[in-house]
Amino acid sequence: MEFHLPPDNSGTGSVVDLVIAGGGPAALSAALYAARYGLGHIVLESWQPGGQAALTALIENYPGVPSVPGAKLSGIMRSQALEAGARFTTETVSSVEPLGEGFLVRTESASHTAKTLIIATGAAPAKLGVPGEDRYYGRGVSFCATCDAPFYRGRRVVVVGGGDSAVKEALHLSGVASGLVLVHRRDTLRAEPRLAQRLLDCPTCEVRWNSTLKAVTGDEQGVTGVDLETPSGLEHLDTDGVFLYVGTKPATGPFRGLVELDARGAVLTRNIVETSRPGVYAAGDVTSNGFRQVVTAASDGARAAWAAFEYLEDRRQN
Amino acid sequence: MRQIKGAEMKALVADTAKITLVDFSASWCGPCQMVHPVLEALSSEMADKVSFFKIDVDESPSEAGAMGVRGVPTMIVFHGGKEIDRQVGFRDKADLRKTLDSLADRFLTPGKA
Repeated sequence: MEFHLPPDNSGTGSVVDLVIAGGGPAALSAALYAARYGLGHIVLESWQPGGQAALTALIENYPGVPSVPGAKLSGIMRSQALEAGARFTTETVSSVEPLGEGFLVRTESASHTAKTLIIATGAAPAKLGVPGEDRYYGRGVSFCATCDAPFYRGRRVVVVGGGDSAVKEALHLSGVASGLVLVHRRDTLRAEPRLAQRLLDCPTCEVRWNSTLKAVTGDEQGVTGVDLETPSGLEHLDTDGVFLYVGTKPATGPFRGLVELDARGAVLTRNIVETSRPGVYAAGDVTSNGFRQVVTAASDGARAAWAAFEYLEDRRQN
Repeated sequence: MRQIKGAEMKALVADTAKITLVDFSASWCGPCQMVHPVLEALSSEMADKVSFFKIDVDESPSEAGAMGVRGVPTMIVFHGGKEIDRQVGFRDKADLRKTLDSLADRFLTPGKA
């Protein structure tokens, strides 16, 4: 049975076997596999090409690549996919609706008709929602140590969080800042033990355990301090910068209603990449999968492309 | 999009016939390299209402400091010498275009732009 898509579809863009939404490692890996499977596809690179990986200073746990700046690793993934024949556009998905047996994927400038879809739009850094956070964004509040570390040479910084990202980026910042305070709401770091130990051993770093950031304070020029709630009461710290690594928010806005999401807003998956809707797959940090690394994103992307390929083959044969 | 020195900025952003976007960026910053083609494309598409310039923060640290830039890319939009908007981090083309269109609508006199 051939795929039934309305012949005169309202898409202004292409009619393809597969649309891949996203631009990080999950999408790039899906693109590589889709191209090599010979699937007619298009990759709608989302708001941040290279994804969160591109903003990571150093990736040390991607097998086969000992230690590499994140932007370089995602750049290599992208060129590899391009060489294999992947097709990219810089559009961002705004909505998706079922259309016949496929989907109509709308972006701000076009719409594409697709038989299958891979959601690999990743996640954006979550905000804390405290006073001063928005006001001083770009003036001392940052979500990207890799981008902004050089502005803090010889200055004091505060990093909020206790996971891999917080600790990894704190170590990167400690190389330039004169002093660093990590603020963590628990009494142990959740980061990989090797990273955690490096931070605990860092002579210019301190940790405020069981503490939360209550407000970012500043003047016309930018951030001058933070207010913390610590076990011994309120504490004001003078600082020039505040780096927030307090988790992520999955970029699932356009897919709400299309597939089932979990309480965090992540795409609920089964068998790693299957969603609640046949023909729609999800990969990487946008999913409810428990472990979110560059290597797992790449792996999800490959599985999702394979699943889409199998789905299309099944339909062709039956 | 022309790269300028910090010292040239004040005169260029005083323009009232167009709004002016100054992109504070750095060679070592990934998102800056990613936003560059977006700005290049917009600078030809929106040439009638927006001027685009780029300042390297390593080359002009004092101007970046004076503008309170503590992260890159920081894109500051001016009209008549006054800051009217500030965008920090990567922005996609549609998003940035929407912002600039609405600023141009607000600040430029119809017919004169």
